Formats: sequence, C-alpha cells, structure tokens
Amino acid sequence: MTLLAPWALWLSAAGAAVVALYLLKIKRRREPVPALDFWRELIVQTQFRSLFQRLKRWLSLLLWLVIVTCLILAVGNPVFSFGRIKPQSIVVIVDNSASMQSVENRTEGTTRLQLVRRALDELLERRPVSDEWMLIEAGGQSRVLTAWTRNREAVRRAAESISPHFGSVDLAEAGKLAGQLLSGKPRPCIVIISDGSDGEVPKIAREDKTVVYWPIGETDDNLGITQLSVRPHREQSVHYAFISVINGSSAAVESQVVFQLDGSTTAVEPISIPAGETWEKTVVLDAPDGAVLRAWIDRPDAFSADNESYAVLDPIERVSVLLVSPADASFFFEQSLLAMESFVDADASRTMTMEDYDALGDTERQADLIIFNNGPPRDLPATGQFVFINGWPDPVPAKSLGTLQTPDLRVTQRDHPLTRHLNFSTVTLARAIHVDLASGQVVLAESSDGSPLIFLWQQPDRQALCLAFDVLESNLPFRNAFPVFLRNAVAYMMSERSAWIRPLYRVGEVIEPVRPLPSGVREVAVARLRHDDVWNGTVPVRDGSFLFQQTQQPGPFRFTIGDETAYTAVNLHDRRESRIAPDKAAEPPEKRLALSGRLFGTVPWLAFAMFAAGLIGLEWLTYHHRWTE
Amino acid sequence: MSETLFDKDFLKKLEYLELIARRLVFGRQQARRASVKKGASIEFKDFREYSPGDDPRTVDWSVYARLNELVIKLFRQEEELDLWVLLDSSGSMDFGEPGKFDSARRIAAALAYIGMVNMDSAGVVPFTTDLERGRSRLRGRGKLFGLLDFLTELKADGKTDLRASMREFVARVRRPSLVVILSDFYGLKDCQRALDQLRFFRHQIYVIQFASPWELAPPIRGEMRLIDTETSEFHDLTITDAMLRRYKRAFDGFSSDLRRYSMGHAIGYALARTDTPFHEFMLQVLQRGGLVA
Repeated sequence: MTLLAPWALWLSAAGAAVVALYLLKIKRRREPVPALDFWRELIVQTQFRSLFQRLKRWLSLLLWLVIVTCLILAVGNPVFSFGRIKPQSIVVIVDNSASMQSVENRTEGTTRLQLVRRALDELLERRPVSDEWMLIEAGGQSRVLTAWTRNREAVRRAAESISPHFGSVDLAEAGKLAGQLLSGKPRPCIVIISDGSDGEVPKIAREDKTVVYWPIGETDDNLGITQLSVRPHREQSVHYAFISVINGSSAAVESQVVFQLDGSTTAVEPISIPAGETWEKTVVLDAPDGAVLRAWIDRPDAFSADNESYAVLDPIERVSVLLVSPADASFFFEQSLLAMESFVDADASRTMTMEDYDALGDTERQADLIIFNNGPPRDLPATGQFVFINGWPDPVPAKSLGTLQTPDLRVTQRDHPLTRHLNFSTVTLARAIHVDLASGQVVLAESSDGSPLIFLWQQPDRQALCLAFDVLESNLPFRNAFPVFLRNAVAYMMSERSAWIRPLYRVGEVIEPVRPLPSGVREVAVARLRHDDVWNGTVPVRDGSFLFQQTQQPGPFRFTIGDETAYTAVNLHDRRESRIAPDKAAEPPEKRLALSGRLFGTVPWLAFAMFAAGLIGLEWLTYHHRWTE
Repeated sequence: MSETLFDKDFLKKLEYLELIARRLVFGRQQARRASVKKGASIEFKDFREYSPGDDPRTVDWSVYARLNELVIKLFRQEEELDLWVLLDSSGSMDFGEPGKFDSARRIAAALAYIGMVNMDSAGVVPFTTDLERGRSRLRGRGKLFGLLDFLTELKADGKTDLRASMREFVARVRRPSLVVILSDFYGLKDCQRALDQLRFFRHQIYVIQFASPWELAPPIRGEMRLIDTETSEFHDLTITDAMLRRYKRAFDGFSSDLRRYSMGHAIGYALARTDTPFHEFMLQVLQRGGLVA
C-alpha cells in the first residue's frame, strides 16, 4: 500500500492524543452513596455484562484508535499496488469529439465527456503517486493541456477545461503526437479515453501496445443526419434536397424527418430504419427565390447534435449573355445558348459585333456573362465573367508564342465542373495559339506537348475562361461536347459569380473564402441564422481573405462581403460520430493499467472514510446515545 | 447546622403542630390510653379461675358463695402511654441535600414535643449498631430546650444494626409504648426482624423512612467510584441510563416492600422526602392518622 499523501502520517499524533484523553478519563469521579447495597444488587443483575463493562472502556479506546487510523488512511489516499504497479510516463488523450456529447441514461443524464473526467479521476487515484502525467485534448487539432507533471490536481484542473468539440477528431494524429512526446521516457503509456470513434481507437490500441483504450459510454440510441445536400433544378425551378439518415442503434427505429424552409414546415417524411442501416431520400423543395433549409429528426435520442442539419437554397435565376462575335461566326453559339432556356434569359441576351460593343457605354455593356469570339475587347471591364475564344486581352497572363498546328485537345482536370461530361477525343483542331501561361492559372485542357488550350483566369472581381483556338476552325461545334461545354461554362461562371464560400462546411471546419476578396473589403459581417440562436459578429479581412472559426455548432451562416451576400451551412455530417455505440476494449483498462485495488467496491480512501464514519456512529450509539424509555 | 436546625421559626412551627396534634389526635383521650393489659382499676373487665399466687383480694366471694368456685375479678388496668422516638444516627443518614439526618432530627424533635405535651412521657434515643443514650421520660414543655440541645449535638456516623438496637430497646423498655423509628431502613431483612421484636413486646410502631432526592433519582452517569458513607467501601461502576433505571426500580421496590410489610403488621408507615419541609410532612402524618392508636 502506498499513500499518495504521505504527509497524512503526521496526523498519527491524533492517536496519541486519543490515548492521552483516555488515560485522563480513566480517573473515575468519586461519588458518596448512603449504601452500596442497591448498587451491589444491580451489579449482580448485570453480572453477565461485567466482562463487557470492564472491557468497555478499552474497547472504546480501541475503537477510537481504529477510527483515527482509518481517517489517517483516508486523508493519506492510499493505493494498493501489491508490488505490480511501476511508475510510468502516461499521456492521457481525451476524445472530445461530437459523439462524446451523447447523454448516458444510466448515469442520470451525464454526458460522455463528464464520464471522461470521472474516468480520469479514477485513473489518477488508482495509479502510484510517482507516475508522470500529460493530458492531450484531441479536439479539432490535438492540443497539450498539461506538460509533464506529477501534480495530479493540475491534471484534474486541466481536464475541467476541456470543452466539447462538435465535430470529429483525429485520434490517430493525437496518438502520434503522444508517441512523439513519450520518446525517451521509461515505461511509456498512452491512455485514450474515448467511445471508440467507430472502431478507430481499438485499431490504434491493437497496433500499438503502449496504447490503452479506456472505453466510455454504453448507449447506442441515436438517429443522425449524415448528409443533406441541395441542388437547383433550373428547368423545373425547384431544388432537390438529398438527405441521408443513419440508425446507429441496435434496434429498428421509426420516426419522421421534418423539412423546414425559412422556419415553415414544408415536408414531413416518415422513416423506418433497421438497426445499423441508412435511410436516404431525395425531396423536391419549391423555393425558387432561395431559402434556408432545416431538416430535423422528430425523435429525442442520446446524441442530439446530429438530429438537425441545414442547407442553403440559392435563388434560381437565369442569366443574361452578351455574345460579341463576328456575325458569320455566331450561329453555333446562339443556337447553343438558346437551347439553355433554363439558364439563359433569351430576352435579356444579345449578340453584337466587336465594333458595336466598342461603341457602347459601360452601362450598356452590362451582362452576367460576356463571350468574346475571335477578338478580345480593347478594354476589359473591371468586374464580370468572361469567355475569350481565340484571343484575350492583356490583363490575362498568357503570352502567345506562335501557332500550334493540329494539336490534340486533352482534358487535364476531369473532375472540374467545366469539364464534367465532356468527351474531346473526337475533336480535331486545325490550329491553336501556343500559349505561355503564367503559373497559378487553372489549366483544363492542353495539347499533347503541354501547351494550355483551355484555361481559367481568376481574379477577385472577374474571371475568364480562355480557349486558345478558333472554334470554327475545328469540328467542335458539330460534336455533342460543344453545347455541353458551353452549358458548363455558363453554369460554372454563374455559380462562381457569387461563390465566395462553399455551400457546406463540417462542424469545426474553418470557413475561408474560395477566392480573394475585393481589395476594399476590410471586414466581413457574419450572422448565424439558427432558428433558436441568432448570432452576429464580424471577421477581419487580411490579404484578401478571412478565417471564421466559430463553427462549433451546426447552423446556417450569412456572410456579408461588401455589397454581396453569401450563405453557407455548417453541419456535423459524420457517420463515425453518429454511430455512437461505444467500441469495446480488447482487455479491461484496469487490468492493462494495473490499477490499484478497491475496497468494498470503491476507492480505498473513500472506503476508509466511510468505515471511520460507521465506527464513529457505532461508538456514539454504544457509549453516548441516550435511549429513551 | 446547630444554629439553623432549630431556629425560632422551627419553634413557632412546633407550637402550631402541637395544637394541630391536640385537636386531631389527643383531644378526647387526653394522654390516657386504655391498656390492653388487665389489671387493677375501678373498671370491671372479666372473670377467670383462681390460680395459686393470685391476689386473694381479687377473689369474688359472692360467686364462690353461689357456685362454690374460686374466681377472681379482672379490672381494666390504666397505664401511661410513652412515646419513644428511635433516631437512626448512622453514617448513611448523613447524606443528601437537604440532609436526611437534619430532617430526621427536626421530625424527632416535633414528635417528642407533641408527646411531651400530650402524652405521659416522651423519649428520643439515637441508635447505630446499638442503642445509645438518649433523652427519656420527658414530660412538659420545659424539657424541650434540653432535648433540642441534645439533638443539635448529635452526629450521624458509623454503621447501622437495627436488629441489635431494637433488641437492646425491648430489653430496656418492657412496657408497651408508641415507638417511632426514624431511619432510611437500608437492609430490609434486618429491619423486619427488628420490627418483629418490637411487635412481640406489643409496642405500637410507626416507621418513617427518609430518602433524599438523590436517592430517589441519582443525578450521576458515566465512570464513577461509589463510596459507602457508612463503611467507606467503594465500587467502580460505569453508570448508564439503563443502570439508573434498574436502580430506581430497586429503590421503589425496597420502599414498597417496607410499606407493604408495615401495612400487613399494623405498623404505621410514612416516606419522608428530605426536600419536603418538616412541618408539611408532620401535618400529613397527623392528618392521615395512625401515629397514635
């Protein structure tokens, strides 16, 4: 047995004090009586108790000495090592991922994160005092909360400061960090207190023998939304919302999912999901003017953070296109644009020659997209979306090095929205501009010798899609790829027109603009638009960008950037976190960590304290309590 | 003690008690008591056969003339009734607050004074292991102060032997008298035997048991060394509430036994608590009767 607080032995002086008090108490009070006869009779009557009467005082002394010993041991906080526990350097990694917010019904509404603190307390109490400790919070990024210390109270205080993280955490990275911090330490040990993170922690513990998995939690009762995405259907002027709900519990669950647009319920979908399965559905939402979509599961469960999800529905608008082209070269473009009636507003779109364009004033040149075919303008507008075909103005950092004869046209980025569904394999070009493109531009297609043939030039206030060949000097207009490419170009340029930020972020993810902000913007106003919690704030802009980190809770956000407004949604959307069923440890952590034994099912100090209290009560009842008649 | 034991207030109360006693007890009898003995007097009581040694003057010759049998006439004998107050002056009486011995001495003085005035004579005799010299054959008020001085000088000390004391008393006083015993009566068996001796010699007996509040409900608890005031013997005890309850039951039983024995043998009995003023106790005794037959 080792005392974690050996100074408590100084309290042994209390034992000496008890003995002294008893010796003083031994001197009996003298009381004259008229006759001892009655008292003698009483003594005879109680003769069977005489032995107890004689021993009573000494039993009381013995009782008090035991009480004092128990109290000293309780204060001394003993651990029973039985010679097995050796001092170790222990890094404790606390999983504070979203699933650790799950409420455990069997512990009267305690969250798993609170249970983590209890587990840590137990670990600190039942390990030898000579252990060296370090505490790491897994969090969004692994963070060391206490440097190496033997001060257990400091570790406890640091554990109190751990706040819940509403996203997933990378426990493997935390484990690596702990391993680095333990290098050179004798008898290293990493304890990961977690609910398992869908099998990740047991796997880590299997692979690394220094890692001990301390499982937390029992419940698995949870339905969670793991995906909510929307896309507009311009032809029908509606949005399609795709939702995915997972049943993480071990029993089939029936409930319903409610869809709300700007706070008004628009659809309710009953769901019935077998244990461990996923339910998916696409819902049509009629919100051509745009709205904030909130989907929530109408069923309370152990983990509430994934019971709701948000998405932003952009307004469905048609764009105006200004085609600047020689009159005899505009046919294919006009026909393709007219075919995109759901994208392109034909009434607002125009076709004109370069001479006519140059003659217009700035306001008359306004259009959502301007296509320059076979000739760049003399002056490029300061803002706007442009397509340059077979030539571009000076601001575009691409120099002509000559002409390429019959180059191949090969797509370099298949996953880019501009090249989606395109097949250029049968396209042949007569000639193309040999381009020397400045670095940093997005090349979408190139020739076989690496000369960019289609590339994207992006600036904060304007962007341009450039084609380094004359479309009419190719068979592209006769291929299906031409209208598809033109449709992709219109859709992408329009979506990117206001896309300062992505439409969806994960909880805990930092929001930053996808392209540089205008130079005049100094700060960005941010508003969280949860139905139950509206929050406003500002984020400073530095070097044309900003970092918004307050995404710990799900919700829709509005960013006001200059005169423009951008919406996004933050959601948990993590299948690992929604599967809250804790993973089992291969071996009990108490055994792996060789924790100190327990007394009467509790920690030794508490057992001693309770025993002392019981003895005090017994002593009082035996020696001091006055039983009433 | 001696100054406050019998003060002026005590004397006033004594006079008052004597008046009450005369009215309640002695008003009609005027110190004359019919003896149970048969003897010479003017009041005829019975006849019996003559036996040798009888006074020939008592032979009823008229009966002899008619029946030719010698019978003698018996007359009710008139004799004096004496009061003897036997005062326990052992160490056990010197106990309690107020003290039992002080109360006993006041009551002894009061009883003796009533007897001196209303009866033929009164005597106060202290006893411990045997009968001591006391004051006897006191008649008239004039003897009171001598008696009070005697009682004032009296000390309570030593052991008690009621049986031996009574044996000596009946040897000393053969004529049946009213005997009032003032004691705490510890040792009931000896006490009953002693009373039996008195009864055998046809004494009229009245016992007054003294008890202090301490004895009735000892205010002690815990680790104690109890010391006998008579013998200086001691016993170590751990006094608990349960033990005190048993003590109280034992003391009440002792008093009940004494009272039951007294009632069963035509003996007057009274329990005198020392926290009861002596004159109130005397009034109770006089009003209740039984002190004088």
